Amino acid sequence: MPFQGLFKWLLGFFRGRKTFSLGIYGNVNTGKSTLANRISMDWTGEAMSKVSEIPHETREVIKKERVSIRVDGKELTINLLDMPGIATKVDYHEFVDYGMSKDDAQQRAKEATKGVIEAIKWLEHVDIALVVMDACLDPYTQVNITILGNLEARNIPVIIVANKIDKKSAKPERIRAAFPQHHVVEVSALKGDNVNKLYEEIVKRAR
Amino acid sequence: MAIQFEFISSDAITGKSSEERISLIMKSVRKDKILVLEEPLTPAEEKLLIMKTMTAITREFPGIEVCSLGQTGSDLRSRVIKLLGGKTSGLTVVGPSNLVHQIKRDPHKLRFMAGK
Repeated sequence: MPFQGLFKWLLGFFRGRKTFSLGIYGNVNTGKSTLANRISMDWTGEAMSKVSEIPHETREVIKKERVSIRVDGKELTINLLDMPGIATKVDYHEFVDYGMSKDDAQQRAKEATKGVIEAIKWLEHVDIALVVMDACLDPYTQVNITILGNLEARNIPVIIVANKIDKKSAKPERIRAAFPQHHVVEVSALKGDNVNKLYEEIVKRAR
Repeated sequence: MAIQFEFISSDAITGKSSEERISLIMKSVRKDKILVLEEPLTPAEEKLLIMKTMTAITREFPGIEVCSLGQTGSDLRSRVIKLLGGKTSGLTVVGPSNLVHQIKRDPHKLRFMAGK
């Protein structure tokens, strides 16, 4: 809809202050929910998502509304959206390997596929996106490329979060080399390392 | 067990809508074929492919592995090339994940491991 942007701007103008939808995207198990919890804890004092080592723990979009971030006197209000991890396959056997029963694993797989679809549909509705990558793994995956390609096509501001830098095998420089056109912030969502830099970037890029 | 590859020329998919391209891919992948498309899918088509894959997942079909090289978007250059009947360089490889175990890539090379 050509006037959608103008309408959103006018709505924000007359309400006095715009609320930004910030989507946290990425492959499965890159630490998206850990980052969502870190942001939510830092600014509201409450966690928002359940975290697990079993893939696809987040199977629906989890929202934390009206989170106010303040950096250098500037305030930004965001609706924080913890997205299910995006994948091209969901094999229930993988969950069985983590000790789940066959029935539970199959149910989890079914819910996970719906979560992936929901996350993809939201790509068109976020105002700013954090694309979280595990700094210990090869960043050049098709899922990362597809997420970034779709956000770029819609001119949605993107910050790549190179997560898990507290781990010895982390090589965030590989992420910078793979996506030189994007701004990369290195963090440990688990330990809180460098998250202030991320907040600065979010406030800077939200528009 | 033999693995079946199918090479699809860009002529075969030119003029097809994104929906038609994706259903052509899904049809072949569900028959345990590995497809190599002469023309890369766009990010929007890949998004659609992932969504269609998710709705098709069963106990027997756990999903796909996909990789595109030389992807062109909806930028002016790509559109002009297509408008003039030209071809944009690149390719997409896609196969069922129970056959294609992993696709590794760097900006200019694809390497995939397949087998039952």
